[in-house]
Amino acid sequence: MRRTSGRVAVSVVLMLLGFLVVVQLRSQAADPGLVAMSAQDLTVLVASLTTRNNQLREEIATLERQRGATAAAVQRGDTSVEQIRADLDRIRGWSGALPIAGPGVRVLIEGPIPGDAVSQLINELRNAGADGIAIGDIRDVPGIVVTGPAGELTVSGIPISGDIELIAVGQPEALSGSLTRAGGPIAQLGARFPEVPISVLPDDSVVLPATDRDLAPALGRPRL
Amino acid sequence: MSSFATRIRAIPSWQVTFGLALLALGFLIAAQLASEGPRIRYTSQERTPLVETVLDLQAQQQHLKQQILDLRASIQDLEATGQGSEAVTRELNAQLEQARISSGLVAMTGPGLVIQLSDSTVAVPPDGSEREYLVSGTDVLTVVEELWLAGAEGIAVSGERITVATAVVDIGGSILVNSAYIAGPYQVTAIGPADMFERLTRSAGFVDFIRARAETFGIGVSYAVPESVDLPAYAGLVSLRSGQVAASAAPEAAP
Repeated sequence: MRRTSGRVAVSVVLMLLGFLVVVQLRSQAADPGLVAMSAQDLTVLVASLTTRNNQLREEIATLERQRGATAAAVQRGDTSVEQIRADLDRIRGWSGALPIAGPGVRVLIEGPIPGDAVSQLINELRNAGADGIAIGDIRDVPGIVVTGPAGELTVSGIPISGDIELIAVGQPEALSGSLTRAGGPIAQLGARFPEVPISVLPDDSVVLPATDRDLAPALGRPRL
Repeated sequence: MSSFATRIRAIPSWQVTFGLALLALGFLIAAQLASEGPRIRYTSQERTPLVETVLDLQAQQQHLKQQILDLRASIQDLEATGQGSEAVTRELNAQLEQARISSGLVAMTGPGLVIQLSDSTVAVPPDGSEREYLVSGTDVLTVVEELWLAGAEGIAVSGERITVATAVVDIGGSILVNSAYIAGPYQVTAIGPADMFERLTRSAGFVDFIRARAETFGIGVSYAVPESVDLPAYAGLVSLRSGQVAASAAPEAAP
């Protein structure tokens, strides 16, 4: 009898042991950053990832259409020049190598703010899905950085003076809503620089110039 | 001594097994409690399914990104076999390849450096804010911008290529780059000139960043200058959804 109860006790402890080993292994596999997030933040993250995945599906649909059209043209023995040209324009417009036009917003900053504050607004416009952004008449492309203390800003070395205007092509409601939401960048900058008005004006048609920078890499080469 | 050995031998084997199992149990409970470090502050029923959803969405995202890269490669192959005016097609394909490279749509390799940012290991003082001791999106953005100023020609953050459309966003002490969840420590990889590191460390902005974040809050900033670094291709949306190209610089097709 005593021997049987001992075996039962050993079995129970071993089961508990197995359970804890699994729990321990699973907790070590989960990302500590995710484990540390609140339910509210996780909800925001789920929404963000879902939006991104939907955009990726959109891109896949576009690419599948493009592949279908190009394959059909090749099969017919037709020219594929038009497809290539359309693809080229799409990439160049997106990357800033060609000017683009469309609905969007103008963000007017009427007073001195430092470079990091302007970067914060540009980052938010990108996050809100802007097709393209310009700082005054300078197209925002990789390598363009707004730096300097308030009143002494430079855009990649070029001094800018007076009021600053950011122009973005994109859905005006989405861009404006993202910038002006409660606790958003304009609210944060309003608290940091209460004397500097920042306004967001929807516009049916804005035009962004092409960049004058050479975007081609000089040192890197394609990885095969 | 011999009576002690006799007593040990007299212990039934199941009791020895039981004792060892209890020891392991105690060790695992302690390990489980210890693994719930200072970052874990939330406990609620709904979190586990949310974490699982995030992991599932991330896995989907990886799959979708690979699909995009495969489709682009397939289109590129088809375009190269086009039958149009040979000279124009060849010229357009060359321009297209260059545009893809310049836009970050092609994986690159070249000389450069890697900066790693990691959360502080300094104990948060009772009156301190825990967020200040974690790497933020602003920290990542600052390093990216300083690398551009130091001459970088291409940058990636923990496997996400920085492009014209890249936003770096904070969510609850974690970071999204290109709307992809990035786990720390964060590696900022840049292709650039041989003196990029010297330029970076001479920059007033980078020195201010080190003072404000590394020296004040203990944010870990380390670097490596390998022989060459790799940047992944951007696998995301490359479409104008609201706007359109205002002009085309592409050459006309031959009649």
